[in-house]
Amino acid sequence: MKVLPEKSVVIVGGGLAAGLVARQLAQQGVETLVLERGGDYRHGPEGRIPTQRDELRWDVRHGLMQDAAGETYTQRRARTELARPMRRLNAFLPGTGVGGAGNHWGGQTFRWNDYNLVLRSRYEQRYGRGAIPADMPLQDWGVTYDELEPYHDLFEKLFGIAGKAGNLRGRLQPGGNPFEAPRQNEYPQRPLEITEAGLIFQQTVEREFGYHPYPSPAANSPDAYVNPDGMTLGACQYCGHCERFICEANAKGTPDVLLYPWLERQPRFTLRRHCHVLGLEHDRASGRVRGVRYLDLLSGQEYLQPGGAVVLAAFTMTNTKLLLTGGIGRPYDPATGAGVVGRNFCYQANSGIALFFPGRWLNPFLAAGCTGTLIDEFNDDNFDHSGLGFLGGGYIGVNVASGRPISVRRTPPGTPRWGTRWKQANADWYAHTCAIGAQGSCYPHRENYLDLDPDYTDAFGQPLVRMTFDFRENERRVSAYCTEQSRRIAVAMGATPVGPVVSRAAPFDTRFYQGSHVTGGTIMGADPAASVVSPRLQHWDAENLFVVGASVFPHNSGHNPTGPVGALALRLGDDLARYVARPGRLS
Amino acid sequence: MPDQNPSQPGRRDFLRSAALMAGAATLPARAAAEPAADAPVAPVGYLSFSPDEAALVEAMVDVMCPADELTPRGVDCGLAHFIDRQLAGAYGKGERLYLRGPFRPGRPEDGYQLPLTPEQFFKAGAQAADAACLRRHQRRFAELTPEEGDPMLQAVADGREDAAGFPLAEWFNELVYPLFVQACFADPIYGGNRDKVFWKMLGYPGLPAVNGLNMVKYRGKPFPGARQPKSIEDFS
Repeated sequence: MKVLPEKSVVIVGGGLAAGLVARQLAQQGVETLVLERGGDYRHGPEGRIPTQRDELRWDVRHGLMQDAAGETYTQRRARTELARPMRRLNAFLPGTGVGGAGNHWGGQTFRWNDYNLVLRSRYEQRYGRGAIPADMPLQDWGVTYDELEPYHDLFEKLFGIAGKAGNLRGRLQPGGNPFEAPRQNEYPQRPLEITEAGLIFQQTVEREFGYHPYPSPAANSPDAYVNPDGMTLGACQYCGHCERFICEANAKGTPDVLLYPWLERQPRFTLRRHCHVLGLEHDRASGRVRGVRYLDLLSGQEYLQPGGAVVLAAFTMTNTKLLLTGGIGRPYDPATGAGVVGRNFCYQANSGIALFFPGRWLNPFLAAGCTGTLIDEFNDDNFDHSGLGFLGGGYIGVNVASGRPISVRRTPPGTPRWGTRWKQANADWYAHTCAIGAQGSCYPHRENYLDLDPDYTDAFGQPLVRMTFDFRENERRVSAYCTEQSRRIAVAMGATPVGPVVSRAAPFDTRFYQGSHVTGGTIMGADPAASVVSPRLQHWDAENLFVVGASVFPHNSGHNPTGPVGALALRLGDDLARYVARPGRLS
Repeated sequence: MPDQNPSQPGRRDFLRSAALMAGAATLPARAAAEPAADAPVAPVGYLSFSPDEAALVEAMVDVMCPADELTPRGVDCGLAHFIDRQLAGAYGKGERLYLRGPFRPGRPEDGYQLPLTPEQFFKAGAQAADAACLRRHQRRFAELTPEEGDPMLQAVADGREDAAGFPLAEWFNELVYPLFVQACFADPIYGGNRDKVFWKMLGYPGLPAVNGLNMVKYRGKPFPGARQPKSIEDFS
């Protein structure tokens, strides 16, 4: 193994979080290296017409995603079970290549409601100390929204987020989400155009229920846009090939458009592609990591890359894996509740209901990744949970992201699966349906966690991450509640028929896509006995090791995770610049 | 087959009014039973299928997609060719499929757990399906009438057809059926959806999908591009 010259900061993974950390470091002239296992998509068939518009290749066959043949995850629903590998990755879709999953994301960019960062305190104050079940290890994050607000603002400007403010410096704004945390500034871009389905939803919930619909905040650029670094976005073409695709119009805020081309022009930044990180070199005596071991996939050569500081910014599961294989931090033990690495693994409790609107042209193919119209009345703790028997909630709304015909065809319940009547139902309804969906929160459960599988290995001979996960009672109730609200709204919208109405239930089913928002495993917090990293994202047991991404979330809310990931990553970049100047424990 | 809804009077009324409103924009062309004169020339021959497998698949796609006012029969839509090409290609050989052991039988929600590539699984299932047909009808699937074939497929899909331990329902529902749907609705460059016949049936406009202006102009209105969809070949 060759030992390379040390770099000030070495970042594992070349996705969205890594790019944002590196951007802050580059602004302050700190030498930074990013190791990315994949290559570039910028000039390939992924981002060019006509090949970009290939649903089978990019969407159905997962052409941009992590190759499960080389690395997947095993899963079981209880620790008494023997795990099985997910031989195809379907339920959630990690990315690979420069930009990571941030290239094939849809672009929903929320700021979470501010109390999410102090969620245990919030629930205890509002409902009493006994309100949080003993098997639900909620905890405060150790950081406040006020600290993150400037970073949310910067992330939105860097990525050209389109939306409508709901709370501007404490003043509620018509047309925005009144439940959002106070913002210093309006979104940098106007909202995307609303869809026909969104109009029906908007008018119905305002008129019938007095709710406050708002446009989904979007990293889909409604107009040409120049960000603070001089990087440009084109105007969205509402092509319906956004999430799971690379945008050929450069109209989606993604790391490969906005971050890495800029970074590669900075003198002290280096990106090494096709470098698969194998492990961390940990020196327990000094409480530091020496660096990372990686395999150069183009030469087959293994290297040790020393780093003054090392940042784990890979996908949620990989961050946990590298800590476990490196023996850094005490692995979580669900039997005792002790240990930290792997705990608080969360997902989301999403559900959707098909809606049919005879005679109304919904034209699902006129859509962007984030052409959604939503309400937050039933999200998180925006409503009174007294007597409901669960904690949490979800946004509810009509997201019309595509009319791609292999995947997005809805037929009324009772339609046969083939034959002339199946074809006729498809012909009759294709342009006249949408879905109303709830994105339900998922709180930690003592028995939901990650560890290393004892039996299965990846293409490099390393253990697969094993997820022990199921939708527990709280999440099943959240989903049942949110799904019932969706159904009620759907009926008021005049859809006929409505259905089927199915909420998220156990057992966790690996065969169906349920959102890629897996979180936790390396969570942040103020208590070293209950967290892997400090509120500054510094590892408690290795001073020069930092972790960033949704893996540090102590719980998952009813909003997409990218907003907080972006804010935390930018803040970490600034913290690292301080750390490099004066190494030590950050406070 | 379970189908309680199609003859709701309200929907038929809607279809009539939709046809008037749209100038039949998204309704199927009549007399689609023959491929259009300018349809691409069909590929000849199979890469993966044996003659018996080809006969089975051709019969199956013709049952699942009979010739009617909406489309030609499945074989003439290229559906059998699509399935053959997929199984002969990277997908059929196990691309993106984790095939390391140990192998353990799983529950349905664990997903596919067999040590076979899709092509191998397909061929094993084709034999099992024909064996089940021989037991029930004393003929292979390709020799059944459509009136016999349809309930036979339904029985397989519902798990009512014993196949001596072979997971025939899983084979149909999680391998064959998705391939059938993909054959219908994927871009015609893959060999199915010949002449974009299924896109025309839906009113899916295909490429280029550059809708910056259309998004507002055709919100809530019939989309003119839906009459004449364009595919990858049209931009190549």
